Amino acid sequence: MTKATTRNFFFGGTIVFSAAFVLLTLQTHGTIAHRTHEEKLTAQVRRGGAVWARYNCENCHTLLGEGAYFAPDLTKIVEQRGAAYLAQFLDDPSRFYSEERDGRLMPTLGLSGEEIAEVVAFLGWVGQIDTNGWPPRPILVAGVAPRGMPGVSGVAESDRPESRGKALFDGAGACATCHSIESGVTLVGPALSGLVERSVERVQDPAYKGASKSPDDYLKESILAPSAFVTPGGRYATPEGTSLMPDTYSKTLKPEQVADLVAYLKTLR
Amino acid sequence: MTYDSQRVAYAYFLAAVLLFGLQLVFGFLSLAKFLGPDPLLGVMNFATTKAIHTNLLLVWILTGFMGAAYYMVPEESRTEIWSTRLAYVQLALWLAIGVTTVVGYLFGITEGRKLLEMPLPLKFGVVVVMLLFLGNLLLTIRQAGRFTTTEGILIGGLTATALLFLPGLVHFDNYTLDRFYRWWVVHLWVEGVWELVMGAILAFLLIRLSGADREVMEKWLYVIVGLTFLSGILGTGHHYYWIGVPAYWLWIGGVFSALEPLAFLAMTIYAYTVIRRSGLGHPNAIAVHWTVGSALFSTLGAGLLGFAHTWPQVNRWTHGTHITTMHGHMAFFGAYAMIVLAIISYALPALTGVRDEQRQTRLGLAAFWLMVGGMFGMTMAIGAAGLTQTYLERIMGFGFLETQKKIQVHYLMWLATAVLFAGGAVAFLWDFVSAGPPKRLPAASRAS
Repeated sequence: MTKATTRNFFFGGTIVFSAAFVLLTLQTHGTIAHRTHEEKLTAQVRRGGAVWARYNCENCHTLLGEGAYFAPDLTKIVEQRGAAYLAQFLDDPSRFYSEERDGRLMPTLGLSGEEIAEVVAFLGWVGQIDTNGWPPRPILVAGVAPRGMPGVSGVAESDRPESRGKALFDGAGACATCHSIESGVTLVGPALSGLVERSVERVQDPAYKGASKSPDDYLKESILAPSAFVTPGGRYATPEGTSLMPDTYSKTLKPEQVADLVAYLKTLR
Repeated sequence: MTYDSQRVAYAYFLAAVLLFGLQLVFGFLSLAKFLGPDPLLGVMNFATTKAIHTNLLLVWILTGFMGAAYYMVPEESRTEIWSTRLAYVQLALWLAIGVTTVVGYLFGITEGRKLLEMPLPLKFGVVVVMLLFLGNLLLTIRQAGRFTTTEGILIGGLTATALLFLPGLVHFDNYTLDRFYRWWVVHLWVEGVWELVMGAILAFLLIRLSGADREVMEKWLYVIVGLTFLSGILGTGHHYYWIGVPAYWLWIGGVFSALEPLAFLAMTIYAYTVIRRSGLGHPNAIAVHWTVGSALFSTLGAGLLGFAHTWPQVNRWTHGTHITTMHGHMAFFGAYAMIVLAIISYALPALTGVRDEQRQTRLGLAAFWLMVGGMFGMTMAIGAAGLTQTYLERIMGFGFLETQKKIQVHYLMWLATAVLFAGGAVAFLWDFVSAGPPKRLPAASRAS
């Protein structure tokens, strides 16, 4: 092999593979608008992207798995936590987390209400990008869901309603992301141990302002209209009284799924 | 040193090692935050210290590359540098941009794109610096009329580095597109054209340290850089898997990334064959260690540890964990930090007017072993953190914060081994400074 041969190998290979790369780039570029739902890339989302960059978010967090590894991945955060909670959190993270308890705390960045709405809109848009199935299982911020993964369709152990409800609670409903079933363990929403006794007391309590008359109705109302009555004694609502729990379950869950969930919740004593 | 103007390399090398030291300071600040609690929360956040840590890395490596070029090109082309004054002006401008950028980060002025955080106006300043730099080198070569393959690969790599910086000036509102073209800069630099610079410096050093035949060495250099582009260009795909691009990048990225270790493996074989054939009896033992060390360590860190997580079925689980941190540390150190430290160690005696035989080598060799040992330990510690994180967080379903609590012990190991590494860096700096200031070449020994 002569030097001329190896030189030709270098230049020839470089030209061929550069050309292939450029062609693939052109093909890819043409698919991005569709794959990222560019019609939903509104002015607010664009401004949110600028907020994301301005506050240097990706030098702590990852987004689409890219960034720094100091803080949680935020690809699916809007779906997991809901916009109402995120707005409260971003206003002052120390209301929800502490360095002593959680080991790490996000600094209060002094974002304006407008900036918060923008960056949450941006994160919501990113969450809809077609990522070829990544992450294969949801990445949680806090808490543990070893027996069933939120966002992954759980498999019911039997065909009983409470078993189907549990699968939904741990799985597709993503309830376990925010609600612990251990006594005293608060993730984001209230812990649900002792729920049966509490729901009986609740509907009889004069302080209760919701519309339910029976414990079963109260549990159903909590899922479908979380702001109807917010559990006292925690930071579960905005200052205006809107619950931080997503209010989207009335649209995403079928009536029989709600019934299954209620059946499961009634096993939590 | 044969040409007096090669002395400008000293100023570049001094700046490089000082910035290297500063990079470690911000590395420790960032690591301390992993261990927490953070007394600087709200004053100097992790995002700031980490951005400064990585930006200083890029700056000092590039400063080292520039110094290497100013040292190598006169010897290769057998002439003085076209304008030493321009070279000093270029360094001053380069450092001014660097300092402004870092101070800006401390006040929250950032473009917020990982590794390309530098605000746009300063990026244009970088373009000016690169034009001054390449212009000076090309005029040097033109006045000599002699152009070797080694310096051709070097200049090719540096020119491509400058050209590939240009996509970094463009911003897209669509986050996926912005990510897509960001990798044109970041990936095609470190897994593409920088390998040309590394290969050229390696060839230059091996030829001089062993006396191996230039024709043979340059023939194989083409094979090395050929393999780099054969695998590295389409290997960009391993950054594209999950960011919103079509799925065909999964197998393109997977296959070509699997070939990426070949270029580094070729460099190891290259160095090994030279040792077998010609021996490394060169009296500059420190330079010999860094040169051979770089060829070996880059295969391990950049080649094998890169391949450890670029296969799509693996990356699906490890993407965005400390597995990447592990690979990043050893890859950058093995491929780029070590080759810059090698050329500095090789050039230092000549630049400071000391004969190789007169040098005390104990401190320099201690620096080598402490840094290599420290980085090996850090890689193990971060790797353990990354594996545990992948298992607990991605497979078992523990939350990010719970997982971080469980891997604190690995952060302690990271800290302990980082202290070893920093000890080596301090020894290197001390050895560099104690070699004394650069000396003019005696008139009698100048090339005519």
